[in-house]
Amino acid sequence: MKKIYFIGGLLGLLFWAGCDPNTNPAPEEGDLLQYTYSPQDYVIKKPDHFPQVPIPADNPQTYAGVQLGRHLFYDPILSADSTMSCASCHLAQNSFTDGKAVSTGIDGIMGKRNSMSLLNVAYIQPVIASNDTFALFWDGRSKSLEDQALRPVEDQIELHNTWPNLVEKLKKHPEYPKMFREAFGITDRSEITKELAAKAMAQFERIMISSGQSIFDRYLAGETTLLQDEALDGKIMFFDEGGVGLPDAECFHCHGVGTLTGKGFFENGLDPFNALTDIGMEHVSGNPDDRGKFRVPTIRNIEMSAPYMHDGRFQTLEEVVDHYLFHSLLDTPYPNPNMALIVNKRAQYTQYHKTALVAFLKTLTDTDFVNNPDLKSPY
Amino acid sequence: MKQYPLLLLVAAIFLSAGCKKEENQTAKNVELSITFKALYDGTKLVKNSDYSYDTYKVQFSRFSTYISDITLLNGTEEVKVSDIEYLDFTPDGAADNNAVDITIKATVKEGNYTGIRMGYGVNPVNNAKRPADFAAGTPLAQEGEYWPGWKSYIFTKIEGQGDGNNDGNQDIFMLYHCGADKSYRVYSYDKAITVAGNSALSVEFDLKNLFYGNNTWFDITIPSNQFTSNLATDTRVAGILMDNFDQATTVK
Repeated sequence: MKKIYFIGGLLGLLFWAGCDPNTNPAPEEGDLLQYTYSPQDYVIKKPDHFPQVPIPADNPQTYAGVQLGRHLFYDPILSADSTMSCASCHLAQNSFTDGKAVSTGIDGIMGKRNSMSLLNVAYIQPVIASNDTFALFWDGRSKSLEDQALRPVEDQIELHNTWPNLVEKLKKHPEYPKMFREAFGITDRSEITKELAAKAMAQFERIMISSGQSIFDRYLAGETTLLQDEALDGKIMFFDEGGVGLPDAECFHCHGVGTLTGKGFFENGLDPFNALTDIGMEHVSGNPDDRGKFRVPTIRNIEMSAPYMHDGRFQTLEEVVDHYLFHSLLDTPYPNPNMALIVNKRAQYTQYHKTALVAFLKTLTDTDFVNNPDLKSPY
Repeated sequence: MKQYPLLLLVAAIFLSAGCKKEENQTAKNVELSITFKALYDGTKLVKNSDYSYDTYKVQFSRFSTYISDITLLNGTEEVKVSDIEYLDFTPDGAADNNAVDITIKATVKEGNYTGIRMGYGVNPVNNAKRPADFAAGTPLAQEGEYWPGWKSYIFTKIEGQGDGNNDGNQDIFMLYHCGADKSYRVYSYDKAITVAGNSALSVEFDLKNLFYGNNTWFDITIPSNQFTSNLATDTRVAGILMDNFDQATTVK
């Protein structure tokens, strides 16, 4: 008789668990139709002197899409053990880097590259080659933000999850199905996919744009007295604008104008060619001439995104500038001619020039960006 | 009953007229494709390969250029093919080092043309603007192709290196970034071009002829000839290269 009560109790528990909508929702067709789908365009704010933000036609920015992406970005549900999210390696206060030389994933395994800043990541221009398109990550292995957002989830040294596992969690989640409905108009939770999750995260990352309130931006907007002395000399050297006693530093060739986020991949003279431990873009393209090339990072907010270089080897801006002006190598079969210009001018550079360039780089600090409430965790 | 043949005749005339009208409309505008190619001494440019240059060897690592206002000519008639194109013959990440061919397509009025005109660089109207003034993803929205020091787009980038004394070491580094309105050039080429149906043209730029003319090589062993000036007012080297685009271009 006791057995019958016990079995009955078990059945009751199972029945009760089955009825809990939060743990095991009924996969009914159209179960999200109760929520309204009325997408509103999200107009990305940007400084006037920045180019328009490229938006792919198949992933328009909407408020609901950005909010879903923001929640996913900060939610540790993304990792296999629910301990890490995108934000674990991309912290707002570090201009969306993690302050470490290389990042560590959920299993305690250290990666081999530095966490890249996401500031102005929407402006990264893809390089379209005959066989593929290269854009994101240090080695360009991802062609778009939508593609990039898919990768860390399943990377064994990052979030070490699987997308099928994560998608199942999202389908069963008490909030996410509604958010997917509002963002993408799906009618039931079975339509949640990794591609939609990636699109939402890409929408959130696209709003990570400079505020336009750095000292340099305000200088460009007309407050010309804000850039003086060393910082002004550093700016002249950075952009090769000429000036008595101010040799060109050739920085702008790779770091561009406006967003100061360049296009392309370059070898920057860090190590002897035969001693390279990370082959960079060659790993993706398979072309030996791409050995040691890495994507040019943004230098906006560089003061807040130490350490530097693809392997985080430099702790300070002084070390970075010291490398370029005084120690960069031309030890590759096909050196970057811009690096050659620097090396050939080496005798002209002084410690003052280093100080001036560092002073200019610090005028790119954008605290309004890191304090932007729209970019903070929603949790 | 006699009315039926008459009605049929009227209907046939209408039908025939309708067909002709449609034929005329579709015949007026047709697709024209133009393929741009980068060569060195008549053969496809290969990035980072040795090429004979005067008495020594050079290699090219980058060749990109803007072309403005591509226009078909026929006497006084002009038909615009394209306002602006950005041609990057040596993109990063290519599986091999062969320069890529770049094909553009345009819908233009069919007919017989006598030539084609192109602007080398960015025309002064567009060059007065900045990347922020153009829609994302368009050729002139590229920040990396603009330099505020000149207040100009970088019309052409040619980069490479050379072994000037044939000792096996690359001792010449070439960095030619041509820009500023003073460097803008417009050249026309006489060529019988029949545009009908799916027509195709080929435009070839031979890098050798950018550096060689009148039986004379541009002497890149001279340090001041190895790079373009940062001063918008000093277009000496840029001017030589932009001038030579005329002889370096072949329309086929």
